Amino acid sequence: MKKLTTLILALAMVFALSACGTSAAPAESAASAAGSEAASAEVVESGEGTVFNIYAWNEEFKGFFEKYYTIPEGVTVNWIITPSDNGAYQQKLDEALLNQENAAADDKVDLFLAEADYILKYVNADATQDITKIGVTDFSNAYPYTVQAASDPNGVVKGVSFQCCPSALIYRRSIAQDVLGVSEPDDVQAKLDSWDKFNAVAADAKAKGYYMTASFAETYRVFSNNCTSPWVDADNNLQFDPQIDAWIAQTEDFINNDYTLTAGVWDEEKNDQMFADGKTMCFFGPAWYFNFCMGNAQDPDKGCSGDWAICQGPAAHFWGGTWLLAPAGTDNPTLAADIMNTFINDEEVCSKLVSEDSQFSNNQAVNAKFAEDPNYGNEFLGGQNDVAVFSGMTGNIVWENHTIYDQLLNEGLQNNLQEYFKGTVDKETAMQNFYKYVNETYPTIVTP
Amino acid sequence: MRNKENTKGRVTLFAARFVAYAILIFLSILCLFSFYMLIINATRSNAQLQAGFTLMPRDNFLVNLKNAWNDASINIPRGMFNSFLVAACSAILTTYFSALTAYGIHVYKFRLRKFAFYFIMAVMMIPPQVSAVGFVQLMYRFKLTNNYLPLILPGIAAPVVFFYMKQYLESVLPMELVEAARIDGCGEFRTFNRIVLPIMKPAIAVQMIFSFVSSWNNYFIPALLLNKAEMKTVPIMIAQLRSADYSKFDMGKVYMFILLAILPVLVVYVILSKSIIKGVTAGSVKG
Amino acid sequence: MKRNKKTGQGEVSYAKWGYIFITPFFLAYIIFTLIPQLMTFYNSLFENYRDGLTQVGPRFVGIQNYITLFTPSSTGTIDMLKYFGNTLILWVMGAVPQILIALLLAVFFTSYRMNLKGQQFFKTVIYMPNLIMAAAFSMLFFTLFSPVGPVNQVLLSAGWIDKSVDFLGLMVPVRILISLMNFLMWFGNTTILLMAGIQGIDQSLFEAAEVDGAGSLQVFFRVTLPLLTPILVYTVITAMIGGLQMFDVPQVLTNAKGTPDRTSMTMVMYLNNYLQTSKNYGMAGAVSVVLFIVSTALSLFVYNTLSKQYKTAPKRRDRI
Repeated sequence: MKKLTTLILALAMVFALSACGTSAAPAESAASAAGSEAASAEVVESGEGTVFNIYAWNEEFKGFFEKYYTIPEGVTVNWIITPSDNGAYQQKLDEALLNQENAAADDKVDLFLAEADYILKYVNADATQDITKIGVTDFSNAYPYTVQAASDPNGVVKGVSFQCCPSALIYRRSIAQDVLGVSEPDDVQAKLDSWDKFNAVAADAKAKGYYMTASFAETYRVFSNNCTSPWVDADNNLQFDPQIDAWIAQTEDFINNDYTLTAGVWDEEKNDQMFADGKTMCFFGPAWYFNFCMGNAQDPDKGCSGDWAICQGPAAHFWGGTWLLAPAGTDNPTLAADIMNTFINDEEVCSKLVSEDSQFSNNQAVNAKFAEDPNYGNEFLGGQNDVAVFSGMTGNIVWENHTIYDQLLNEGLQNNLQEYFKGTVDKETAMQNFYKYVNETYPTIVTP
Repeated sequence: MRNKENTKGRVTLFAARFVAYAILIFLSILCLFSFYMLIINATRSNAQLQAGFTLMPRDNFLVNLKNAWNDASINIPRGMFNSFLVAACSAILTTYFSALTAYGIHVYKFRLRKFAFYFIMAVMMIPPQVSAVGFVQLMYRFKLTNNYLPLILPGIAAPVVFFYMKQYLESVLPMELVEAARIDGCGEFRTFNRIVLPIMKPAIAVQMIFSFVSSWNNYFIPALLLNKAEMKTVPIMIAQLRSADYSKFDMGKVYMFILLAILPVLVVYVILSKSIIKGVTAGSVKG
Repeated sequence: MKRNKKTGQGEVSYAKWGYIFITPFFLAYIIFTLIPQLMTFYNSLFENYRDGLTQVGPRFVGIQNYITLFTPSSTGTIDMLKYFGNTLILWVMGAVPQILIALLLAVFFTSYRMNLKGQQFFKTVIYMPNLIMAAAFSMLFFTLFSPVGPVNQVLLSAGWIDKSVDFLGLMVPVRILISLMNFLMWFGNTTILLMAGIQGIDQSLFEAAEVDGAGSLQVFFRVTLPLLTPILVYTVITAMIGGLQMFDVPQVLTNAKGTPDRTSMTMVMYLNNYLQTSKNYGMAGAVSVVLFIVSTALSLFVYNTLSKQYKTAPKRRDRI
């Protein structure tokens, strides 16, 4: 009895203190904020801060930045790199952006990076600012979808992408020859330019002992990039676009008929299919995917470099891309704008991104130059000029019907349906688990 | 006593030893296998790793070591120094103050004694995830980002370690010893530091190892609080390598770094575990 | 009780030392842990989350979050109870062998009669898995048991299976793997704790028991176990708390999904789902409060039951 009383007393103290805890905190923060503002930041010639903070989740852009951008004298660039693991990057960035007003000038976020999957979360918020007002006005060279992606619902542009990531159908020439009787990109494209044809060819591939794709989610982006309605309607109800339904139907068909493996997009099981003895005909991905993520295909002993080629495939789509966004409240707007301009409009920098770093730049004029160069070709693709293929595709990419929820809804749907595709649970359970996931992740969305 | 043992006793002893060695060897193999995998993986290049697992080492060990050591964005010695600093400080604070608190509650009779004990027991049950996010926000408000204090000071209040110390005191500390010290005119702090701490040496060594290791491997909170490259700790650096962009991604380097990161903790462990044994013989007191 | 009378008035002057000794602990606790925790508990009565970068709430909603938590889903199950069940199963599967084996090993190591060789080696090796970060450890297991991993390769080449097994997609294998990993990571740790406990026991008691002609089993049950009880209680309770808070191993092994069909989703993984993206302090607070109540009740029950047992057993050496 005595123990119980003491326990209750202890609990009572916990709750009594809770009131003090929450009310005391703001006062303390106000005090500390005042303290830090008193220490004034140094300024450079332009009248702006000397410390430039860039938030990123990996070193990709840092590498290009250090290679191609000359930092004005007197300015120190701080890279605040937080890996995306467990959402740590966005968590850290969010804290910093929400704290931007109170932060000392030298601690303010001056530029940050975001991926296509979650860019709208930042673009649609007040935490980012109109870049046309700080000096980035010329978007004539950039691909329209990269500008749309960084525009809020009122059309205000908040950032630019330094790369463009149209994604292609990457196929094995030898398998295409066996299945389709042709192997040159134009011929293959003619036989795979719609989903009906693609699905029909899958059966032919199976008949010859091949897989059409190696992952159940291989074609997901090709569908989801072409949705005609957003994930949520005006009343926040979750809705399935016909494109998503089409993907589910196609995958059911592919799994039931053994046209594909059940591996995830990044699984070892799929990567094994890239070896010379792999049995899979089609992969989907942009330049960065086949240049850097198909290591097994490039393996000198077991790989099959040169036996690959790309074409648009059934529908235009993109995958990835990194945008530079201008946070509101930066004390270095001029520098931020100059960096953005350099990476989309400086011809020399953009050319080098293509020739030295295997990027598909976000500068149409520069890319066109490489597309027309008869000497330019990619060895891995048997000498095919990939820039030319991508240049032809980018006009077809649309950025419409996106929401701030896309990244995790797409991931969640794939993850939960994977169990259904593997046969572990039935479709109804898989969908219920997806709804649970949605409720936990986005409380505002109403699920069926 | 040896002459009292009959043949039967010797046979049982032999059987017991046999069983003991069998169990120990089996468990050791299980434990060592993961290390074997780690070492094997550290000898393979990224492409070889992508191609699947093998039991045989490859020849990429030195290349991985060189790549990891020379990586421009991570400074391994610096990271290890930072981690060591944080882990050592928090391990010392954790064990000392837990022992102090346990002693305070175990030895002194004061009105809030029971309350204090049950309070700590109760808060021990709250999962750390509950306070993690609030903690980070609070540290932002206190402007304690890029500072090791929020990683070290909370160690002073470690309910689990306190509980262990309390239980340990309960089984080893004779009150007579404390009273004898008082009669000798020994001050309370002096009694604790000079007489009680030595008795608790095994417990302190044990908990010091555990706190050191958990601080050394701590990733989540440090990742959210440390911005500056020169302040980063080992787990943040490993995560950074793992999330490197596609053009620099090198799993061989990651495994190499994980392997390197284990070495210092292993050394600390071996040193401290010796003092667990020594502590017993040196500190043992007849009641 | 006897002592109280003996020290008499001296006790009054010593009481203040009690407060002095525990002050640093409580100060640090209140600043770094209690305030954030209380914010969490307090938040369980509010609607409070983020929608993208927009903060929704806090708006007082009473016990609405708790109602949501205990409302059966469309399939008629209360999700929360399912995750609680998962957690208990995973814990029992890992912790029971962990404590039993650790106790056995601790006795082996401390037994002067057995006098095992290579102790330092074994003690080091059994603790080593604890040195690897849980994330890295799970990564290794993930590769080992993947459909194209070495385990499947071995089974396939031995002809025991004719199609690779998706270990990480099936309930029983996933649960076994999680328990095995938790066992491997923690049994060395527990062994060391118990060993330190046994070594704290006065050696003369063992000698006395031996002189009296007690067998090893008798010594274990009559001397070692009763005197080890405080530490054993500690081990059981912390293993239980650790079990109820199980998070990193299943989180990394199943990519935060708790596959298959959320059967390896633990309470804290569920809690984490609310915190991860939506910073839903309302719901996360409610889950924490429930978790807190359950673990406190369980631990107090274990503490009281086990402690009572040892209080009736022969007492510490100061009483002998």
